[in-house]
Amino acid sequence: MNIELTDVTRTFGRNKAVDGVSLAVGPGVFGLLGPNGAGKTSLLRMLATVLPPSSGTVRLLDRDPGKPAARTQIRRRLGYLPQHLGYYPSFTVAEFVEYFALLKEMPAHQVPKAVAAAVERVDLGPRARARLRTLSGGMLRRVGIAQAIVNGPDLLLLDEPTAGLDPEQRVAFRALIRDLGQHATVVVSTHLVEDVGTACSEVALMAEGKVVFRGTPGELAARGEGHESGDSALERGYGAVLAASRRQAPTGKTVQQ
Amino acid sequence: MDDDELIASLAGGDDMALRQLFDRHAPWLAARLRKALPPDDVEDVLQETFLAVWKNAGTYQPRGTLAAWLWVIARNQAAVLLRKRGPATQALPGEGGPVSDPAEAAAARTDLDVAAAAVLGPPGCPDREVWRLMYEEDRPVAEVAELMGVPEGTVKSRAHRARRLLRAALGGVQ
Amino acid sequence: MNDPSLNELVSGESRSAPNDDIDLDRVWVNVAAEVWRRHPGRLEQAAARLLRSPGLARALFTTPALLLPWLTASAVVLAVGTLVQAGAGQPLVWLIAPAVAAVGIAYSYGPGLDPAWELSCSMAVSDRLVLLTRAVAVFAVNAMLGLIASAATLGTHASTPAAQLTFAWLLPMTAACALALAVAVTVRSAVAGAGAGAGAWLTLVLAHGATASAASSAGGWLSAAALTSAVTDANLYLPYLAVAACCAVIVLFATRPRRGLP
Repeated sequence: MNIELTDVTRTFGRNKAVDGVSLAVGPGVFGLLGPNGAGKTSLLRMLATVLPPSSGTVRLLDRDPGKPAARTQIRRRLGYLPQHLGYYPSFTVAEFVEYFALLKEMPAHQVPKAVAAAVERVDLGPRARARLRTLSGGMLRRVGIAQAIVNGPDLLLLDEPTAGLDPEQRVAFRALIRDLGQHATVVVSTHLVEDVGTACSEVALMAEGKVVFRGTPGELAARGEGHESGDSALERGYGAVLAASRRQAPTGKTVQQ
Repeated sequence: MDDDELIASLAGGDDMALRQLFDRHAPWLAARLRKALPPDDVEDVLQETFLAVWKNAGTYQPRGTLAAWLWVIARNQAAVLLRKRGPATQALPGEGGPVSDPAEAAAARTDLDVAAAAVLGPPGCPDREVWRLMYEEDRPVAEVAELMGVPEGTVKSRAHRARRLLRAALGGVQ
Repeated sequence: MNDPSLNELVSGESRSAPNDDIDLDRVWVNVAAEVWRRHPGRLEQAAARLLRSPGLARALFTTPALLLPWLTASAVVLAVGTLVQAGAGQPLVWLIAPAVAAVGIAYSYGPGLDPAWELSCSMAVSDRLVLLTRAVAVFAVNAMLGLIASAATLGTHASTPAAQLTFAWLLPMTAACALALAVAVTVRSAVAGAGAGAGAWLTLVLAHGATASAASSAGGWLSAAALTSAVTDANLYLPYLAVAACCAVIVLFATRPRRGLP
């Protein structure tokens, strides 16, 4: 298992952003669904070794990220696209991706080829030498994806990766993660179900810090039978599970991350 | 943009032009090279060819066609690759200098054929036919004209053009 | 493309895939890798060998306070100080150098400065190591600039031993830099750090100068001796060291790997 979470909790002050989550995830595309504020980002930040859990244990790529040496090893094999990624405006696309390839400690001689491949992979080849300040929001998001995949990560964490992408790029993105998911564990966090639903082999739905559903996209869609709101079967399933979880925990507060 | 414009903007530092040249010319170069080389070598030669184009775009002079120029570079890169492989293939033709060894002459001949194929078009094209009949089969102009069913003047002008294209292809670099 | 048969050949063949066993995309990636690759300068290559990490060297050479415009600005400020000091006898270099360095340090690294800070925190080359390397480098460069400026003014300020003044500002410079870094890292703002470091130093210079001139009652409080008292007063050396040490502890605490800031 590339991800093993046991009863993981993360609190900020009195807010429980993540509340007793246990998950084991192997290779494949894993969709982390849920409304804004459900705790997805906090969970992803713990998987990215940026945020330690308040309690519970996290194991990534069969290592303990709490130990410095193991953490470094995990980080070399990690790809992470934060929800809000700032960019260095004076860098070119290729320079930005190269910068993070080097910080991931890729062997220097492999870097130029890896950078070119990653930039082409997100279809930014024609803009490879353009300064980031000249790029549109959707292009910047793709630069972010390129830096995440540049080291051929075993664990790829993407937080709202489709923000700013147009419909055509979303289709290309789904093909990309399906492809990457053949070897790596790809966790895609999103509040847009239809964005990743069909590309995922498995999904988990979070609400108020807890995992309230886990299964295949087909199983999620099946839950939505009879639920009226939502354009697609997946969205109806998503709505039905969320509504059920609210009925079970009527006093629960929405946690802001 | 046509080829000459692309190579000019590449020389001016725009590597987007290299991408367009690659998209336009890599497929047929690959197909030509594949006739003589295994796939891995074709990829190596193509890579070196376009890197050479990138580095030498400024030296290109639009005397012949860009395709001819590319073919010469590709052929030279193939020669470099084969030379690296060992002495058995060291004497590659078309690199300048007098050719005395019959084997080498034959090789040079093949080389010329390949160049002809690249710049004159596939067998059956008028220029290619003129070239074949006049220079490979050594027939006189009148006979070629009769065989092809065109006036002698046309044969002469086609022959002239074929020579010019081949000269550009084989010596138009540097 | 003036030859019709050639046109036909080229365009005709490029439409169809030439060979299934040749991957043109792979060839292009190899070409692009060479065309797009950045060639690190000699200094960066040397740093990569010295630090045994190309990533750390790259991070070092992208430090805002080590980029040419910044260095030029620092050098100009110190040069003006040197000229004024030589001309008017005001000990400007020793007063400016710590402030310039403090501002530079604040603009070395940190959450307030790095737009990709969250991502930087997930890198194998740890953010703490990057911070340390950059801070040390910025300090060294600024100390060097200050020393050059100091050396250029030797003999223009006769009232204090030259050697003492040439090196004495290194101590307050360390304290000002440490303070700037500590504030920048904890408040997550480079501006705040720069303001705190430079502001604290200038306030101290003026306040201490006023006290010193009041005590000696010799001349106005802007006299050279009064102004340099923050540098020359040996009683302040220990407090400078204490401030530097405290701030260093704060920086280490604020950047501890499992800090878990929201």
